[in-house]
Amino acid sequence: MASRSQVYVVIPAYNEAPVVSRVVAEVGRAGYAVVVVDDGSRDATADAAHAAGAAVVSHPFNLGQGAALQTGIDYALAQEAEVIVTFDADGQHRVSDISRLTETLLREHADFALGSRFLGQAPNLPPLRRALLRAATVFTRLTTGLQVTDTHNGLRAMTRRGAAAIRLRQNRMAHASEWLSQIATSGLRYVEGPVTIEYTAYSLAKGQSIGDAVLILLDLFARRLYR
Amino acid sequence: MIAQFTFSILLAGIVIYAWSEYARSPVVAVLTLLVASAGLYFVWMPEHSTQLAEAVGIGRGVDLILYIWVCLSLIVLLNLHLKLRTQMELITALARKNALADARPARVQTGQRDTSSPSHDVGLS
Repeated sequence: MASRSQVYVVIPAYNEAPVVSRVVAEVGRAGYAVVVVDDGSRDATADAAHAAGAAVVSHPFNLGQGAALQTGIDYALAQEAEVIVTFDADGQHRVSDISRLTETLLREHADFALGSRFLGQAPNLPPLRRALLRAATVFTRLTTGLQVTDTHNGLRAMTRRGAAAIRLRQNRMAHASEWLSQIATSGLRYVEGPVTIEYTAYSLAKGQSIGDAVLILLDLFARRLYR
Repeated sequence: MIAQFTFSILLAGIVIYAWSEYARSPVVAVLTLLVASAGLYFVWMPEHSTQLAEAVGIGRGVDLILYIWVCLSLIVLLNLHLKLRTQMELITALARKNALADARPARVQTGQRDTSSPSHDVGLS
């Protein structure tokens, strides 16, 4: 049996000083261990996160969210984490969803519990972004064979064994598809759980655009060309 | 004849380069090999390039060779892009190792703060 202190919540952050303290404090108050990966921020993200109680791993320069998540997973595994949760720094995830996902992980005897806003709620989700996410879901279903409903959700829980099976090589946003292809390759059991994504003006401004979606497709294509 | 020998040496160099790249990127290597081999063939059989050019509607054989050269350049550019990505992976590994070595542990163990939380055991063995 693992206590919440053995659940490590990995929060990748890039220039998130205005919000990261609140997010770290909320997650910490719920009893989880928090590690913030400061991805070469130019503001005071690292200091703010550390002051709020998180362990902080700082990239010397900006590498991308995929790279930050992998760094956080490596850190958590080295700290003997039993469960690892990935969580966004911009305040759009609910702390209460962490326990829902970890409980789902246990109940279903799975190695991955993937958050889905389409099984849960996503108030204020702009129609264009909804369409983009739906298209990404269709693409990922076709390329990985996983019947997931939400492919670009940053809230995931995984066992230690599941985390060890993941090795993200897509530094930028294409890592979301890479997670799913590696889960499919690993053969480990995955489930989806409902989560709520609360869009705010801040999180929408930091979100992805259609241009990013094109870059993600190019990244995924390029990755297939070399070993 | 001098031009034919010069182009042959250049294209043969590209063929060797493509072969050496096969282990890292088979797709790029095969594409490069195909295009460079076609170039070599047409350098020595220019009349065939004209016939093929006419057959596919390009017009002159020399234009066909020009197009092949452009294709070759684009493939080499793609290969350079892939090499840069490989370099980035190495840089990432180095930066990650450095970052993990300098990690700042939590000042207070965040995981042990709120002991009044209703469900502290996630029940994982």
